[in-house]
Amino acid sequence: MPRTDNIAEYNGVWVFAEQRNNLLNPVVLELLREGKKLVKKLDTELTAVLLSHHADRLARELIDYGADKVIYLENELLCTYSTNIYTKLISNLVLENKPEIFLIGATHIGRDLAPRIAARINTGLTADCTSLDLDENRNLLQTRPAFGGNIMATIICPDHRPQMATIRPGVMEKAEKDTNNKGEIIKINPEISATESLVEVLDVIRKKAEFDITESDVIVAGGRGLRKAEGFKLLQSLAELLNGTIGASRAAVEAGWIDQSYQVGQTGKAVRPKIYIACGISGAIQHIAGMQDSKCIIAINKDPSAPIFKIADYGIVGDLYEVIPCLINKLKTLR
Amino acid sequence: MEFQLSKQQKMIKKMVRELTENEFKPIAKEIDETGRFPHENVEKLRKYGLLGMNIPREYGGAGADELSYVIAIEEISRYCATTGVICSAHNSLVCWPIYYYGTEEQKEKFLKPLARGDKLGAFALTEPNAGSDAANQQTKAVKENDYWIINGSKIFITNGGMADIYIIFAKTDASKGPKGISAFIVERDSPGFKIGKIESKMGIRGSATAELIFEDMKIPEENLLGKLNDGFKIALKTLDGGRIGIAAQALGIAQGAFDETVNYIKQREQFGRPIAKFQSVQFEIAEMKTKLEAARALVYNAALKKMHSNDYTLEAAMAKYYASDIAMEITRKAVQLHGGYGYTKEYCVERMMRDAKITEIYEGTTEVQKIVIAAKVLNR
Ligand SMILES: Cc1cc2nc3c(=O)[nH]c(=O)nc-3n(C[C@H](O)[C@H](O)[C@H](O)COP(=O)(O)OP(=O)(O)OC[C@H]3O[C@@H](n4cnc5c(N)ncnc54)[C@H](O)[C@@H]3O)c2cc1C
Ligand SMILES: Cc1cc2nc3c(=O)[nH]c(=O)nc-3n(C[C@H](O)[C@H](O)[C@H](O)COP(=O)(O)OP(=O)(O)OC[C@H]3O[C@@H](n4cnc5c(N)ncnc54)[C@H](O)[C@@H]3O)c2cc1C
Repeated sequence: MPRTDNIAEYNGVWVFAEQRNNLLNPVVLELLREGKKLVKKLDTELTAVLLSHHADRLARELIDYGADKVIYLENELLCTYSTNIYTKLISNLVLENKPEIFLIGATHIGRDLAPRIAARINTGLTADCTSLDLDENRNLLQTRPAFGGNIMATIICPDHRPQMATIRPGVMEKAEKDTNNKGEIIKINPEISATESLVEVLDVIRKKAEFDITESDVIVAGGRGLRKAEGFKLLQSLAELLNGTIGASRAAVEAGWIDQSYQVGQTGKAVRPKIYIACGISGAIQHIAGMQDSKCIIAINKDPSAPIFKIADYGIVGDLYEVIPCLINKLKTLR
Repeated sequence: MEFQLSKQQKMIKKMVRELTENEFKPIAKEIDETGRFPHENVEKLRKYGLLGMNIPREYGGAGADELSYVIAIEEISRYCATTGVICSAHNSLVCWPIYYYGTEEQKEKFLKPLARGDKLGAFALTEPNAGSDAANQQTKAVKENDYWIINGSKIFITNGGMADIYIIFAKTDASKGPKGISAFIVERDSPGFKIGKIESKMGIRGSATAELIFEDMKIPEENLLGKLNDGFKIALKTLDGGRIGIAAQALGIAQGAFDETVNYIKQREQFGRPIAKFQSVQFEIAEMKTKLEAARALVYNAALKKMHSNDYTLEAAMAKYYASDIAMEITRKAVQLHGGYGYTKEYCVERMMRDAKITEIYEGTTEVQKIVIAAKVLNR
């Protein structure tokens, strides 16, 4: 494809401020922080692009999180995502304003939107990046796992602008909020008609949030030894202090204390977190099969002969209702 | 070997065959599909004196001999393997050990209602970490004053949740390995006794297979069955008898599938004649029949050995190994000879094939039977 002939005219870093029901997607905060780093090196401005309706509060929030400028397209039809309308409006904005870099979160919406914009404005796009950097020629070094994560590819886009990338959510750090930040909000009311969208959204159905425990670095798992559903609240407090999640044995799931999506084991999920804390779990082979590859296993059980101790790196013999509150207190004083 | 059945054995065979055809066969498909426990069948077993049938009359039983029992399980299992195992677990694994090892008080209190069929029994040895390696028990019993406090759990317990009386095994001396296990009689309403998950299974789907949970379960001191720390011996001895029951169940499943097949191949026509006219089909039938009779001889022989001797370990293991093996083979062939129809739920042979598989696994897997047989042969 022909190169962008006026590369030098392109300036500024843009991020797409994805919102759903006028709540920013968490990945936007990651984009803002990453964008901030880039604008410092490039000596330019960070702009957030927001499409919504009744979202002045959001526009302000984007500034709190570090945007120098917010371009806010306001229209009732922009409340919910629509491929055609969003693509058209954002592509036109890009062509008019010529940003140098454009970052979009690799969410379902971002993965739909980014390639359409890239194709329309004839530029390069790297999907699902996990790290970004710059070279001396202002080229964005876009690194992403390829071949199922077995190789890391670093991709550049030297001849076209903007340099577009979607960023894998959850990989980068989030921007900090600072209400003293200053910035400019440019509000535009584009003319659009509903007939422009080839897609009509009839209904948005919310799936019950199913958190995937396999992605957590720390799992605090409970078994029948909890004796009651409330026990998981205690585990939850411990898990939160460790930035982890809770897990469960089949016995705890069968007792109805917790959803099956938390079950670890042969017929549940296989996990390999950095730390696995087994509380009131005897260590039946069907459970162990799902967690023995954890880097560090800590067992809390009042029965010293429980088989879980055979595979534990650290074991505490005692009542979990006494041990866990002690751990929680100790962790709190360490913070 | 030609078995001359006694008059009583013949009568029992006729009675159970009619019971099965009239009562169990018609609902076998439905209980398989819904996986529901057939309470009405248990009630029929009770009425016909088949729960506790080997227990002498003075303890509430029917006083029938072991061969009659085998014949009964075989006949029941011909069309309902679910009912077969409910009956077998109750008789072999619960009534028998209480009769054989129980005190007079225990027989009065527990055996009588069991043998009359007023109460149903279950046998609980298996744990998550103790299957074939049954000695690796983790359930523990500790004596406190006049009570045993039991903590632990059991898995895959036939009649679990449906039964009123359970024989369970627990470690009473952790330092002694298999010699530190004891047997206990546990009532369903003991404090701290809970029923966990009911498994969803490939076959024998109507029989409840449950997890049992003991949380500081408190049972009276006098519920210890047999001597302290004799539990593992009791379990093994009980399973010797249980295996004859499972062998009979396997034999019944195979016989049922065989009968269905003989009927079918005479009726089904292809290439202008009944498929029974093809020689390869005939040869299959000949093989099936021969193996069926060989298995029957082994199973009946094990029953006779039990009637006349105290050491029937080898005969029971051989009977269970062979009968379950050919049950799998014969049901598989039965499906094959039914062609595409055999693969549908309109015909019962697919259910029989699913039911057959468990007979190779429970009350000691086929591999465990071979270990037992080889040990007996080589130690001689
Ligand atoms: C087909 C099949 C599939 C299975 N798949 C799985 C699976 O995927 N995952 C799984 O987990 N299991 C599975 N199981 C079940 C497994 O066999 C065990 O039954 C189960 O793991 C036991 O759970 P548990 O350790 O929580 O309970 P238990 O074995 O009852 O252990 C409870 C433990 O808590 C301790 N305890 C009690 N009170 C306290 C206290 N106050 N403080 C500290 N400790 C205490 C006790 O000492 C005991 O060790 C499966 C079973 C079957 C049959
Ligand atoms: C439907 C159902 C009903 C049951 N009912 C009861 C009941 O009422 N009461 C009760 O106590 N239990 C019951 N059980 C449990 C049953 O007896 C066990 O499942 C069985 O003994 C096998 O144990 P396991 O499942 O732990 O298999 P494992 O012991 O884990 O065996 C897995 C495989 O390894 C093989 N293997 C193991 N050890 C050896 C060895 N040394 N050499 C060669 N091969 C070996 C086995 O043969 C098998 O093929 C039931 C099970 C089922 C599925």
